Amino acid sequence: MSQLHLFHEQTARQRIAAVTDAGSFAELLPPPERLTSPYLAQLGIPVSFDDGVVIGHARIDGKKVYIAAQVGQFVGGAVGEIHGAKLTGLFKAAARDRVPCVVIIESGGVRLHEGSAGEIAIAETMRAIFECRARKVPTIAVIASDIGAYGGMGILSTCCDFRVMTEHGRLGISGPIVIEKWMGKKAYDSSNRALVWKTSGGKTKYLLGDADALVHDAAGAVREAIGKLLTKSSPVTLKNAKARQKELEKRLKRFGKTADPDDVWKGLGVRDIATASLASGPEFAALAKAGRK
Amino acid sequence: MKQPSPRALLGKLFGGSAKGIAVEKSVLTGYAQAGGKDVCVIGTCNGTYIGNEAALVLAAHVIDCVERRPKTPIVMLVDSAGQEPNRVDEMLGLASYFGHLLNCLELARRKGHKLLTIATGKAVGGAFICYGMFADRIYALDSASVGLMPIEAMSAVTKIPVPVLQKLSKTMPSLEFGARPFALLGGVEEVWPSKDDLQARLAEAIATAAVDDNRAALGKKRGGRKLALDIRNRVLAESAK
Repeated sequence: MSQLHLFHEQTARQRIAAVTDAGSFAELLPPPERLTSPYLAQLGIPVSFDDGVVIGHARIDGKKVYIAAQVGQFVGGAVGEIHGAKLTGLFKAAARDRVPCVVIIESGGVRLHEGSAGEIAIAETMRAIFECRARKVPTIAVIASDIGAYGGMGILSTCCDFRVMTEHGRLGISGPIVIEKWMGKKAYDSSNRALVWKTSGGKTKYLLGDADALVHDAAGAVREAIGKLLTKSSPVTLKNAKARQKELEKRLKRFGKTADPDDVWKGLGVRDIATASLASGPEFAALAKAGRK
Repeated sequence: MKQPSPRALLGKLFGGSAKGIAVEKSVLTGYAQAGGKDVCVIGTCNGTYIGNEAALVLAAHVIDCVERRPKTPIVMLVDSAGQEPNRVDEMLGLASYFGHLLNCLELARRKGHKLLTIATGKAVGGAFICYGMFADRIYALDSASVGLMPIEAMSAVTKIPVPVLQKLSKTMPSLEFGARPFALLGGVEEVWPSKDDLQARLAEAIATAAVDDNRAALGKKRGGRKLALDIRNRVLAESAK
């Protein structure tokens, strides 16, 4: 796969193929199995043979990984009963086999058409992720598309050891349109793309420390970032929990009163907002690092 | 159904020991007793919205319990309408604040604390996912509003007419809103009648809590969520080949 392909423009299966060793991906419960949502069928909505998520195993630099990619084109990558059960099963398999698990997230969260079944599925997948973490099996979320990781999938991504983002990726719970409806256009104009990305985009999440890597919008860069994290884990310990508590308290105290994301950027080392806005992900990371010195 | 005041409800669950639970900005933290034994309590009341600050208050109390009260069961009470749609909270990483709370609860679980949830009021969407649904065992009062969202809200977003959703919910409890349909999906272990002796119920629930996630199996057994367990098991079987 050429480096010229933009990762956010690729399909779920292309993304998996592009971040794993050539020909190594074996799909589990592939489309010929025809696992389709009975909820969508009842509602007369088109179904998909993979229910919007591709799962399987592959190799990265010769090392086995379990990997999933959500299909944003299908009901916004939203999680229904089957979709969620595939994710739960994958993380449970990863825990059992002590094989790292990567999830390429592209989802608005729970699939509303399936009601509470999708909600419970996300909660079950979270438990499975922590089964991996209890065994020091690395779990990595990749958030690299405009659809991003929202709702329950946003929360789920924060349960993984690490998050790899591109500047296109967005991470949050409530989306901009919902917030605009709630707070008014003055507080949040959802059509202001710069503001939307400065609120939830990869650059801001990386500055805050919620994304562990901010890479180019290219499969090769995403693959390299995943490769570096595959041998690491972020243990659940009292010491780590206390440090994180302090860090999040400090963040809220420092920036909780500001409405302007530029204040956050400046506070975290970005000196020239205009230049940083146009910078690529890695350039941005370098600028912020230099600014903090 | 009329909701009791937060204090009245705490009294019904913990008797006189409820005085050890602080209620501040509709967020609950403290220590009380159930079945004559100490428990740690975290939670929400008044159907409040929660954000970064509430998540930190709850997480701090879980950390306090892990540090100072080893193995004390943690009881989570849920009465929250969800996360307040708020741009500043989102900008500062609301998902990460919730993730931290879940991380602290996982730490407690591994250190031998039992985790119990009682949905007492609203247990909706994000507010339920960010702590209550992470318990070992989850219970709900029959008066609680449990689920993703009411049918009217689902209709507004999906543009599917209310009567269509209502008709489908008769055969698909996942679309119905409430404690009982949620229990049919396995999301709730048991629904408690509010007029029962809740202190006895709670003591029994703590005594019998187990850490395995039994929700998919329950959902299949009760017929409300027929696919989840089998799909998961197929992934497990085929990945082992």
